Amino acid sequence: MLDGTVHTRLYEIKSVKVFSDRSQATPVAARNLAHARKPRKKRMSIVKCNRFILVVSLAAMSLFAACKSDKGSSKHFTIAVVPQGSTHEFWKSIHAGANKASRDLAGLGLEVSVLWKGPLREDDREQQVQVVEGFLSQGINGIVLAPFDRRALVRPVEEAKRAGIPTIVIDSALDSDDVVSFLASDNYHGGELAADLMGKLLAGKGKVLMLRYQEGSASTEAREQGFLEKMKSSYPNIALLSSNQYAGATRDTAKRAAENLLNRYGDQIQGMFTPNESSTAGTLLALEDINKAGKIVFLGFDSSEPFLKAMREGKLQGIVVQNPFRMGEWGVKTMVDHLLGRPVPKKIDTGVQLITPENLDSPESRQLLHPPLDQYLK
Amino acid sequence: MALLKLSGIHKSFGATVALDGADLDLRRGEVLALIGENGAGKSTLMNILAGAYRPDTGRMEVGGREYAPANPLHAKRQGIAHIHQELSLCPHLSVAENILLGVEPGQFGWLQGGALLRRTDELLANFGHTEVRADTRVADLPPSTRQIVEICRALAWDARIILMDEPTSSLQRTDVERLFATIRGLCAKGIAVIYISHFLEEVREITDRFTVLRDGRTVCTGQLSATADGELIAHMVGRPVQSLFARRRSQLPGEVILEVNGLQALPAVKNVSFELHRGEVLGIAGLVGSGRTELIRTLFGLESAAAGEVKIRRQPVAAPARSPSRNIQHGMGYLSEDRNGEGLLSHLSIKDNLTLTRISSSWGWIRSRVEAKQAADWMLRLKIKAHDSASPVRGLSGGNQQKVLLARLLHQDPDVLLLDEPTRGVDISSKKEIYEQINQLAAGGKAILMTSSYLPELFGISDRLAVMTRGTLSPALPIDQWTPDSVLQVAIGGEQRRERT
Amino acid sequence: MWLRTLGPFAGLGLVVLIFALLTGSPGKYLSISNLRIVLSQTMIVALGAIGMTLIIISGGIDLSVGSNIALTSVVTALALRHSWPPSVALLGGIIVGGLVGLVNGLAITSLRVVPFIATLGMLGIARGAAKWAAGEQTVNVPPTWVNELAVTFPKQRWLIVAPGVWIALLLAIFVAVLLQNTIFGRHVFALGSNEAAARACGIYTARLKLWIYSLAGLFFGLAGVMQLSRLRQGDPTVAVGVELDVIAAVVIGGGSLTGGEGSILGSMVGALIMAFLRNGCQQIGWPNYIQEIIIGGIIVLAVAVDRLRALHASS
Repeated sequence: MLDGTVHTRLYEIKSVKVFSDRSQATPVAARNLAHARKPRKKRMSIVKCNRFILVVSLAAMSLFAACKSDKGSSKHFTIAVVPQGSTHEFWKSIHAGANKASRDLAGLGLEVSVLWKGPLREDDREQQVQVVEGFLSQGINGIVLAPFDRRALVRPVEEAKRAGIPTIVIDSALDSDDVVSFLASDNYHGGELAADLMGKLLAGKGKVLMLRYQEGSASTEAREQGFLEKMKSSYPNIALLSSNQYAGATRDTAKRAAENLLNRYGDQIQGMFTPNESSTAGTLLALEDINKAGKIVFLGFDSSEPFLKAMREGKLQGIVVQNPFRMGEWGVKTMVDHLLGRPVPKKIDTGVQLITPENLDSPESRQLLHPPLDQYLK
Repeated sequence: MALLKLSGIHKSFGATVALDGADLDLRRGEVLALIGENGAGKSTLMNILAGAYRPDTGRMEVGGREYAPANPLHAKRQGIAHIHQELSLCPHLSVAENILLGVEPGQFGWLQGGALLRRTDELLANFGHTEVRADTRVADLPPSTRQIVEICRALAWDARIILMDEPTSSLQRTDVERLFATIRGLCAKGIAVIYISHFLEEVREITDRFTVLRDGRTVCTGQLSATADGELIAHMVGRPVQSLFARRRSQLPGEVILEVNGLQALPAVKNVSFELHRGEVLGIAGLVGSGRTELIRTLFGLESAAAGEVKIRRQPVAAPARSPSRNIQHGMGYLSEDRNGEGLLSHLSIKDNLTLTRISSSWGWIRSRVEAKQAADWMLRLKIKAHDSASPVRGLSGGNQQKVLLARLLHQDPDVLLLDEPTRGVDISSKKEIYEQINQLAAGGKAILMTSSYLPELFGISDRLAVMTRGTLSPALPIDQWTPDSVLQVAIGGEQRRERT
Repeated sequence: MWLRTLGPFAGLGLVVLIFALLTGSPGKYLSISNLRIVLSQTMIVALGAIGMTLIIISGGIDLSVGSNIALTSVVTALALRHSWPPSVALLGGIIVGGLVGLVNGLAITSLRVVPFIATLGMLGIARGAAKWAAGEQTVNVPPTWVNELAVTFPKQRWLIVAPGVWIALLLAIFVAVLLQNTIFGRHVFALGSNEAAARACGIYTARLKLWIYSLAGLFFGLAGVMQLSRLRQGDPTVAVGVELDVIAAVVIGGGSLTGGEGSILGSMVGALIMAFLRNGCQQIGWPNYIQEIIIGGIIVLAVAVDRLRALHASS
């Protein structure tokens, strides 16, 4: 845990309105240009890196244009994208984003094949290790990896580097210096956003539960950390009744854990926070089953169709969403930049945003909540 | 001085007395033939020598010092090796690994592969069998070579005494000669061999000294050259037919209910033909391994027949339809020689065991009250001693368990009963009850085919008798045309059948 | 004999009592609403355990339960999404479960693969089939009454607990009676106690095994439908490892993996013990690893106690 804190602290990029207007399917350069942020503590880095991508992308474009006109041949890259799973919408968005990157780059005359392969079992880090190892011998040029575990995947990534295959990490951190770049949502900040909303909705007092996701997952630990610390510092009158129980890997385990916790504390609490899709879904089901949905402030993380419905019905007061589509897209594009010999920043923020019933139907939210999956997953 | 001396060895298993004063002595470098009927106690005696069992009373000496092995390993360390009837090699391991099993050359638990092969080659060479390769898997070897491996294993332990229990039962004639050469080689090195066999001519070939065991007692020791076969057999059979058997008045045989022609189920059953009439008991004698059990199992459909014709009530039954379930529908019943392996359902109650072949039911629902009554009735009739019919069957004594199985058969009420060793491992009083039941069944018009290793039993209960020899059944003759001698002669001799009229 | 039947109950009582005291609020732990929660959490394992009891008594084993549940939950979800009538979708899911069981049975009887291996193979096959059928994603379903089957607090208040709990209870009684009072049940015990003897007694052992595995498959199929109902979606990655919970329930309840022993009542109690344990640990606030250690210990302990008792009874 301590370790997780340190790590997320290193990568503490604050932003308030992250996705103002960059969701149109415009070329990456244009979107990055429009990527303006309100200046906060460490925003310099993010602006820098976005600009950097812009520069790199522009350079790449011109480079390929040049290549094409010069030799009439194009370079071919094969990039493996390894998610933590394949059934959840979150991962499908990353997949779609990666495919979009491939198409965009094809438009620039650069042939990039994306190999998409997740671990067989979704809660098994060993399986993911094997997937990565399997790719090492398949003649790929780079790996874009969403590591299940911050340490278990270090060895395969270092081995990949020794084999001359660079790795870019997305979504969840990896404790290794051998990664080219790390693209993720600012998870810590996501937790803070949820804490702020919780504090506001409860008017600064009451009792709250937090159900953790799973042991060893860096991204959700950061969210939990952000939530807890923000609650403590800004809303000292809100008591956290339980924050040490884990929801487990699936909706089913999450539902059970939530049911058991709610039986114990259900009649005392006014608010509840869960840090990812499966824990939010399981808790939502549990709240619905005991008729408590809508009677407490419930905040979740990540998006899915049932969450939006629940928000319209008043059962869910807010969700913090990431931009997995962009993670996939930028992940692949950054890898291509790196393969072309361009320097890329060590860390890139792909942003988090709070969605509430009020801003649910705004155009920005729509773009974010409904990435064009069908268009890119065919 | 004798290398090995046994005196007054007694051993019982529960109520069964296996050894009742066995004596034996063995000299350096000789082969001693140990002969006797099935169940005479030869194997038990060998197991005691090899440390598998401990005698109840009696004294054993090896080289003049008292010998009381605590376990087989202890016996091996003292130089006594037991070669079982069924070889006890590990088929997946190599020749070398088998020979040196337990005495592997190694350091700190690490096997030294090279030394393993060298030591094996050395042993094989000493033994004059350089044709056996140390790294072959035992499963790939023919039976005769496996025997060599087994003997070599004994040598690896520096055996001084080797016990061979029916070593030729799985061998061809040429292999038997090789084995005999091997045994002579062992003797030349001063190793003593105790050799158990049923085949008298074989025994005469390999040795001259013999000891006969009967009913767990040593009855005679002498020189084979001075003893005729007839005399030996008389020693082996010895006893008078006991009065256990209430002789049934002979009745006219009824109609033929089971007819078997040229039945073949290789490798155990080669050629079997007979007719079985209602109201008779047809006994089948034969040595262990002669194919008796396989014949019964084939008839009941538990093993598939390769050829031959079976007719029940003059109706031919096609081979594929000869499943146990079909045969039960045709009115056949079966009592296995393997009480625990193929008879008892040890987790279930007496009642459940008893009624399994014919459960009283309507539309698949068991009529439990009727069932309990039936079970209680049978327990009373067969004098099965137990608390009640719901007690678990595994708590019963061997004799009572066997009676439960017989009761199951009686409850099934078949017309043809196939009984394989119906009194094996059963105490005298239970035996008596089983004989009575068989007599009653025959008197009631049932047809009974019964095997036994115990000749007096067959003489006491059969109306006709046939002898099984290496898969072939002799013609069935009325029981008064047989004598124990002639039965043994046919069983041992194979081809030459002597019939006394 | 009665000691044997009551043993698991005593264990259950002990677990409930200990945790009621440990949670610090016995009132809540023993409340009706917590009972509802535990029962609806047990439902899936309990349904699986009914089928597994049949299989284990017959001397077999089925490792494909979790995968079968995932497959049937996906199939039912797909059927509902294609707007089949809910009853047909539900029946379809159950039948798919039965078919998976039938295939297991065929592999065991016709191909002569030992149950452990045959069903280990099916564990992979059914899981893969589920992912394929679902297109590697979760399948959301429209709201129908199927969703209400496993709801913790049923809409019809007179039901008190979820309809699925009642269904599981009725089926448990049905199978318990089937095992005790029918020829089929007697044959299942005979098969598990001594297959060779059962065959020699004229039982068609191969046919019987097909029936057992198929029937058990129907129960796993129903468990899959309940899983769908609990999650309101067909998830091909759900129920990984549930087979171990199910086997543990049967074993805690006195089932013997060598066959011939076991009871539905025991298995149900075994399933409840595990559910109460997990529920209690969570309410105390113990971390997961403590739950895992305790449940592991209980499995070994339950079997050890059972063996000791058997030894005591026979001597």
